[in-house]
Amino acid sequence: MKRKIKRIVEKPWFSSIIWILILIALWEVGAVVVSNTKRVPENILPHLHQILGAALSGKTVTADMTATQAVLSSAGLTLFRALLGFFLGAVIGFLFALLMKLSGVIEKMLFPYLMLIQLIPVLGLAPIVLAITGDINVSRVVIASILSFYPVATNTLAGFKSVEKEKYDLMFIYAAKPYYIYTKVLIPAALPYFFTGLKIAAPMAVTASILVDTLQGDGGLGCLLSQSLKHAMSIYVFWLIVFFSAFVGIIISKIIGWIEYGVSPWKRRA
Amino acid sequence: MSEAREVEIKTRNLGVTFQDNEGNDVAALTGVNLEIMKGEFIALLGPSGCGKTTLLRSIADLQKPTEGDVHIQGMTPKEVRLQKKFGFVFQQPVLFDWRTVKKNVELPMEIMGYSKGERSDRADEMLEMVGLKDFAKHYPKQLSGGMQQRANIARAFGLDPDILLMDEPFSALDEFTKEKLHEDLLRIWRATNKTILFVTHNIQEGVFLSDRVCVLSPHPGRLSAIVDIDLQRPRSLEVKETAHFNELVAKVRGSFEGGSVS
Repeated sequence: MKRKIKRIVEKPWFSSIIWILILIALWEVGAVVVSNTKRVPENILPHLHQILGAALSGKTVTADMTATQAVLSSAGLTLFRALLGFFLGAVIGFLFALLMKLSGVIEKMLFPYLMLIQLIPVLGLAPIVLAITGDINVSRVVIASILSFYPVATNTLAGFKSVEKEKYDLMFIYAAKPYYIYTKVLIPAALPYFFTGLKIAAPMAVTASILVDTLQGDGGLGCLLSQSLKHAMSIYVFWLIVFFSAFVGIIISKIIGWIEYGVSPWKRRA
Repeated sequence: MSEAREVEIKTRNLGVTFQDNEGNDVAALTGVNLEIMKGEFIALLGPSGCGKTTLLRSIADLQKPTEGDVHIQGMTPKEVRLQKKFGFVFQQPVLFDWRTVKKNVELPMEIMGYSKGERSDRADEMLEMVGLKDFAKHYPKQLSGGMQQRANIARAFGLDPDILLMDEPFSALDEFTKEKLHEDLLRIWRATNKTILFVTHNIQEGVFLSDRVCVLSPHPGRLSAIVDIDLQRPRSLEVKETAHFNELVAKVRGSFEGGSVS
């Protein structure tokens, strides 16, 4: 009996369930405390069942859509921009890492600026990007890619730098051309780091996309979110978006994890 | 061992001086004159800081000498390296985690443009030789330290190099694995007739394996003695029980300058 319990406790899903339960409990405690406080607007911490109810309710929040329909119909546009920006950022991030690895001078010149770009708040960055690109949709994609590329670039560069001196010595003994050193040693060695960068970047691209939606109103989750926050529609739409984007972030990270697993057979057997 | 054999490697007054952090010159190696014959098994033996690895790396073109020179088959180390005549085995296996054992053995051959079939056949042959045939499709992380080092040796032999340079290849292994690998290395060496330079800090290991033990002493690093090992070949582990083996070990131990080795 004891051993059976122990087996269940050691299952990976067990800890996930425990965590979800703890989170729900904490949330509900918070919601009770908040609802007992007077003069607090209803958008702060509603009960989970209220949010769930809003998600399932058939009541329309806009002219012709329920809350869930509204969220899902806006999500497409936002996620499309996020994904596009993410892919661009990943590719550029990888290329930048390669460039910085190829030349120490470039690394010294480039790296401080890359960090600087990260330090500018997205809302400050947005008007600058908009002024440069001249198109709000393009600039939304560009911002998602700017946020994605930094974790990809830094992690991939760390991957390149993780290669031990002996591996270079070995390649030297074999008089390997730089092309082979990159394709046979450095890039495969950096791959796990690259994927770590992707996993960090993906949720950032999604949240950034939602944020930059709010800059101009022409659809997208961010627009819906700000309307909800301004009480132009049910406040529960806001909460649905919060949960939806968290869910999307988790799913994307999972998918990246599966892709990594798929392209790294050596990680499956060890 | 003194018939008219070809000289494979010759160092002339070889010296390497490093600069330490304060900019002072530190002589890692001074005045090494050494002639190594083709097909000879040479042990470079000494305590840490005696320059044995520096000597090995100078021969491999991994280290530029600051004085004197090295000639290998009448060429500079660089020319020999570019002709891919070196095999190098490090203390760590230096395997590539993302490649199977067989693909690791094939890596140098990929770099040198062997055809796919040629690579595969040759790798199979090498894995058979080191006793890893059944582990060809495993990944390095699935192997024990001894097996990883076998894969490393298979890779070094894969290109059929003239000269095999080994830098304390077995020092991280347990005694049983080490002895097994000693016997296997001697068997492979006999079968392939390579010139082997084997760096070690273990006197028994150096005596058991080699034709000659080159004793290096530290401060400054220098070649202090060369001891001929006239044990019969092929050797098996039993030779370690003989009186002559122990005499040779004692002779080597006695030839260190500047204190004994632990």
